[in-house]
Amino acid sequence: MSVTRGISNIAKRGLHTSPATALQATKAATQVATGSYVEGTVNDPTRFPPPNSAHGSSHWAFERAVSAALVPVIGASFITSSHPVIDGLICSSLLVHSHIGFDASLTDYLHDRKFPKIGPIARWSVRGLTLGAAIGLYSFQTNDIGVTELVAKLWTA
Amino acid sequence: MRSFSTSTRRALATPVGAKPPHMKKFQIYRWNPDKPAEKPRMQTYDVDLNACGPMVLDALLKIKNEADPTLTFRRSCREGICGSCAMNIEGQNTLACLCRIDRNENKASKIYPLPHMYIVKDLVPDMTQFYKQYKSIEPYLQSDNVPDGVEHRQSPEERKKLDGMYECILCACCSTSCPSYWWNQDEYLGPAVLMQAYRWIADSRDSKAAERKEKLENTFSLYRCHTIFNCTRTCPKGLNPAKAIAEMKKEMATA
Repeated sequence: MSVTRGISNIAKRGLHTSPATALQATKAATQVATGSYVEGTVNDPTRFPPPNSAHGSSHWAFERAVSAALVPVIGASFITSSHPVIDGLICSSLLVHSHIGFDASLTDYLHDRKFPKIGPIARWSVRGLTLGAAIGLYSFQTNDIGVTELVAKLWTA
Repeated sequence: MRSFSTSTRRALATPVGAKPPHMKKFQIYRWNPDKPAEKPRMQTYDVDLNACGPMVLDALLKIKNEADPTLTFRRSCREGICGSCAMNIEGQNTLACLCRIDRNENKASKIYPLPHMYIVKDLVPDMTQFYKQYKSIEPYLQSDNVPDGVEHRQSPEERKKLDGMYECILCACCSTSCPSYWWNQDEYLGPAVLMQAYRWIADSRDSKAAERKEKLENTFSLYRCHTIFNCTRTCPKGLNPAKAIAEMKKEMATA
């Protein structure tokens, strides 16, 4: 149905005698008035959220850095076998890497703006799971054999 | 021209070069906004390829002229420069005027509108959001030092950076082939608009590169690109939006 409403919005363009009034109208008001998925009038540009590099370029660079760091760290663990520093680096970078990965898929598919209920639940679940994994990895590392040794054992088993 | 050539042929005692009909089926997506309760359907048309031009747009025009005038689609230049006839042909977004008809008569050609767009009618998608997004990146020269009375100077190397970007005709084949654009069209700009954003960032005559980049510093506008490369694969003009986006991400991360 939104399709036909969208068209009627376009068709109505000629009736907008005062663009100033149209611009003043709030997002909610115009959307209710026209029933269109189009925000504002068809001649308004789409808007950008407030810029924040922590969500933009810094986030992207950090994500790539962690992914790139995993390669030498995992490589090093083959040489040193079980070393506490390498083990710690593997655990923390893997944890951050997978957390960012899950978070990105939630942003893609279950974002709050489209899923106001499931979105936050999923986001907090991933945070909880990451925290649980962090605690689990720490105790596995301190009280048990650690990840490198585990993989080595699975390898030979 | 058409009537002239037919009358010439008619004037001959025996028809010359009359080929037997080469019938091919076209299955085309139909939806009528005047009957919104009716579901979209596929309608099949038979076209004699021996009495039709070589491109899919020729077949569509032949169907509209001779079989069904209600079939609705956009077209203009018929030579791949206007971008009007962008549609999904055999599962690939492309321009109908640049897409050859598959001559295999055993297989029907399927034609859909651009995927994941609101449909105005039949093969006509609503491009409003796409154009609003294009407007949002301010796709025009913004220079702080306009030379007085002469043109903006640019070295051949600086000009070369724009090659492969300025040729974009905004047909939206790439954006509508991008899964990220399908899911987050309201916030993510999509490959076509992002390549144009970079076209102005990369332009040596423009002085607003920093402001242009700052706009994209958020989760959605740029960074919903996951380097899927559907855009580059589908571009009917052979451009590479994925590369432009990658260059932009690199510049924003390092500068």
